[in-house]
Amino acid sequence: MRNWITHEMERWWAEWRRRPLARLVRLFTARIFRGSGDSDADGLDLGVGLVLTLLALPGGFVAVLLFPKYGTMLQWMRGVVNADVVATALPDEYFFIVLSMVVTGAVAVWRWDSIFPDRWDYLNLVPLPISRWAIPFANFVAVMFLAGLIAVDVNAASSVLFPLAVGSTQTEFVFFARFAGVHALSVVLASVFAFFAVFAVLGFFMAVLPRGVFARISPYLRTGIVMGLVTMLSTSFAVPVMLRQLSGADRLGLGWLPPIWFLGLGMSLLGKADTSLAAVGRLALPSVGVVAVSALCVYGVGYQRHFVRIPELTDVAPGGDGVRMQWLRRLNGLVMRNGQQRGCAVFVWKTLFRGEPHRLLLAGVGGIGLVLASQALLGSFSGGGLAGGLSVHLSAEFLSVPLILVFFLIAGLRLAFEVPVNLPANWIFRLLLDSEKHAGEGMERKLILMSVLPGTVLAVLPIYGVLGGWMAGILHTAVVGVWSILLTDSVLIGFRKMPFTCTFPLFRQHSIVTLLGCAAGFFLFAVVTPECESWALREPLRMIGLIPVAAVAWYVPHQIRRNTIDAERRLIFEEVASGGFEVLGIAE
Amino acid sequence: MLEAVGLTKRYSSVPAVQDLNFCLRPGQVLGCLGPNGSGKSTTVKMLTGLLDPTRGAVLFNGRNTRDDLPAYRKILGYVPEEALLYPYLTGWEYLELVGSLRGMEVREIEKRIGALLELFSLHGHRHAAIGSYSKGMRQRILLIAALMDNPEILVFDEPLSGLDVTSALIFKNLVQALGRQGKLVFYCSHVLEVVEKVCSDVLILRKGTVIAQDSVERIPQMVGESLEDSFLRLVDDVDTVRVAQDIVAVMNAA
Repeated sequence: MRNWITHEMERWWAEWRRRPLARLVRLFTARIFRGSGDSDADGLDLGVGLVLTLLALPGGFVAVLLFPKYGTMLQWMRGVVNADVVATALPDEYFFIVLSMVVTGAVAVWRWDSIFPDRWDYLNLVPLPISRWAIPFANFVAVMFLAGLIAVDVNAASSVLFPLAVGSTQTEFVFFARFAGVHALSVVLASVFAFFAVFAVLGFFMAVLPRGVFARISPYLRTGIVMGLVTMLSTSFAVPVMLRQLSGADRLGLGWLPPIWFLGLGMSLLGKADTSLAAVGRLALPSVGVVAVSALCVYGVGYQRHFVRIPELTDVAPGGDGVRMQWLRRLNGLVMRNGQQRGCAVFVWKTLFRGEPHRLLLAGVGGIGLVLASQALLGSFSGGGLAGGLSVHLSAEFLSVPLILVFFLIAGLRLAFEVPVNLPANWIFRLLLDSEKHAGEGMERKLILMSVLPGTVLAVLPIYGVLGGWMAGILHTAVVGVWSILLTDSVLIGFRKMPFTCTFPLFRQHSIVTLLGCAAGFFLFAVVTPECESWALREPLRMIGLIPVAAVAWYVPHQIRRNTIDAERRLIFEEVASGGFEVLGIAE
Repeated sequence: MLEAVGLTKRYSSVPAVQDLNFCLRPGQVLGCLGPNGSGKSTTVKMLTGLLDPTRGAVLFNGRNTRDDLPAYRKILGYVPEEALLYPYLTGWEYLELVGSLRGMEVREIEKRIGALLELFSLHGHRHAAIGSYSKGMRQRILLIAALMDNPEILVFDEPLSGLDVTSALIFKNLVQALGRQGKLVFYCSHVLEVVEKVCSDVLILRKGTVIAQDSVERIPQMVGESLEDSFLRLVDDVDTVRVAQDIVAVMNAA
């Protein structure tokens, strides 16, 4: 009997898989992960398995780190006995909800171009004898499947590990089961909400704006969404604190934050929500329904406007008048050494402005920088005045604001340089650039400094000059400028590529060291430097003490570069793992 | 004069091109024919310096081109098999990039790009992103990029791919005119009629080796048939009429 049921199910499944609709759903699911024929084929194709693993990692990793926090021994040592673990877990629960929303939202932003059927699908599928509704229906089913899959995948590890951590002091299995169920429901619903919310927002603009206008603003819109998600993640530690400190009426402002709705839902189901939290918790389920229906509506309109009309839109738009960015061209002309450098620099600028992954990456890194800088700014004002009669505007925290922003801008640009764009098109650089003596060498350094130094002078000098005195303003501007140059030199050590034209860097043994180096660099750049500066500005002559530090920071990369052998300086277009041994090919 | 001397390329010991020898003189338009996998693209990549030969060398005026690759590439114009361009750049921007990488003067770049875009009927679309271009328009951008610096050597790999009838006719005449001007033209194609019409000499490759090399007029004389029949006889010896009939038979059987 059991064999017969299994056999029948397998037969039904095999039959269903052969049906046109099932094949279309599989096709669309695969293209959402891998991109369509129109997309950048050399993009980050990690494979479905690896993508799902990477998405599941953050939640599981954070949950594992929380085990000690809820451990009996540690609780006892802290003197916390008979504590309400659900109340203790509230900030972590909020963090998991935010994390699931951020990861799922980021996936929706990242795969947006592959979600809708495009010209490629039109040319391949429309001529086939299938129902006109089969394509949108199969595509939407694939989107729903993707939303569900990501929601489950992102939260799978945390849904088991986090309740295990929280329930480690509890003796009843019922507590664990109940907490796990509520946690899983909250985070999965939050994920689904985030996916459809991003879908609905982008889809709305796609549906109402003309095709050309949407194509132009879409990258900025997605950049804005990524920055919003990063901000939400960065502030996830502060919101639960505010939630505890504020009374019911004051919490109304926080009620606008969607993660709070899902936290409220979870806490209500666990019977731990107060009146105001329970009230916002009631918004969770309807909000998921609203965004899902909105997504369906905008999908229908967008499909009609963009997919059905593809044959009418094949003519090439004449484009603008090409006068934009002339100022950048002039600036390049002044700064860059030769024609090749100027050409390469224009290419880099345009890729940074127009390349989707580059913009999203810069937005993500910039978003972290903005959040940290704003925290430092708030910290400087909440800390009050300084000893020694120094104004609050010369506190280490206030001085660190431009340094934090500059650090993340430089780090973001350096990271973006590693992300390739249309690799097969790099043949033009392979053909025309001399790999032995890269004429564009030094262009990256100038380019980073062009993005940092003008802003530094134009913003830092007047702000710090007016608020902290002109002497302090000039000195701080000089410090930020010099430190920017030194940081740029450091991050470009060993960089021997034309930006965006080389394959992704391979995972190396020293990748962990690089990450630790970045953390140490940030600490020195944006924490230690402003502390020293704040101390030195009390007696401006003390600033001389920073000169030897700068000299060392300049000398080290300079020496490394001088001692680099020619083979290590060659321009590369492929990251190749260095083998343990090399075949000499003597027999050839 | 451009010479390939004992040019050999192996991919992990599998030979793609073996002991290729030919000579390209000023004014000569050398057509390169061969079926898929015959080594045409590998030959082109070695000629342009994009690929290092396993053995042998490409000589220009008696000097190995690898001795001073940048100088050689300065006098080389290349149209690759596929129109692989940066889709987010406009046609104008892409050509400007190529001009600056070739070390051309800014004014010269603008003058040449403007004039060539006009002649290739792309001037109206010069500020549209390449991503929105048709295949033929992308191909025309590649042709302009290859011609804009007035190179001495031109290597065309399937240059007519996607071009409309008018552009293709213009291009065929252009290749002949370039030959008459004393340029060295290496022309890879699958289209026998085009090779027959625009090339002065022809090189036929099969499995990485040269199986025939002579003037376009003499190869059919040697085999005693048209260039098309000579090519089929030399390369594959396939009865194309019979294969076509077999295909129809399979369709009817279904």
